[in-house]
Amino acid sequence: MAELLFIAVALLLGLSALAGALGVSLLGGKFLEGAARQPELVPLLRSQFFIVVGLVDAVPMIGVGMALYMLFAG
Amino acid sequence: MSQDQEKRIESAGLASNAGRSKQSRRFAMQYFRILLVQLALTCLLALLLMLKDFVTAYSALIGGLLYLMPAGWFSLRVLVKNTAQTPREILANMYISETVKVLLAVALFSLVFMLVEPLNAGALFVTYILLQVTGWYLQLKLNQRFLKL
Repeated sequence: MAELLFIAVALLLGLSALAGALGVSLLGGKFLEGAARQPELVPLLRSQFFIVVGLVDAVPMIGVGMALYMLFAG
Repeated sequence: MSQDQEKRIESAGLASNAGRSKQSRRFAMQYFRILLVQLALTCLLALLLMLKDFVTAYSALIGGLLYLMPAGWFSLRVLVKNTAQTPREILANMYISETVKVLLAVALFSLVFMLVEPLNAGALFVTYILLQVTGWYLQLKLNQRFLKL
């Protein structure tokens, strides 16, 4: 049973990390594209980038929290 | 230049250097106001749950702080203590800040689950998720320009 718990925690943590990394890196790529096309819009793009990073990493963070709870409480 | 013209230029993101720093300051103030609203919401929820029992109340408070501390640190580093100018520097700063934010959240979650006993995990996660959702809502609601993109 303990092995299954560790596998579940590893999957939760790994998939959360993967999802967050993919989202933020795609955003970063789009930010660089936008900045290269219109350098005068960099401050505006930075604000939007900041907001969307916050939106993207919310669900993976909940997953990480639940995985840690399972690890320590289980 | 009239105030109306200045506002139109600012809204197009084409302000001068002084205008840009003013824009950034305004955005930072707006963001920190959201964090303050979320802190107030956490305290209110904890006070309401105090009527039920003490463990649920402090679990909700801890859930709120688990969200607010990494988010506050991230926004402080990205919005206030940020000297990056070029897109590459901005991106590097954002990636480093995001990584440290995630590590900080993991460390805080681990510390709470190891050290705080007894703990009402339901109240903790409900507060944590509630703050995430209010964060989305307030940001989309307050940042009108974001909705137009």
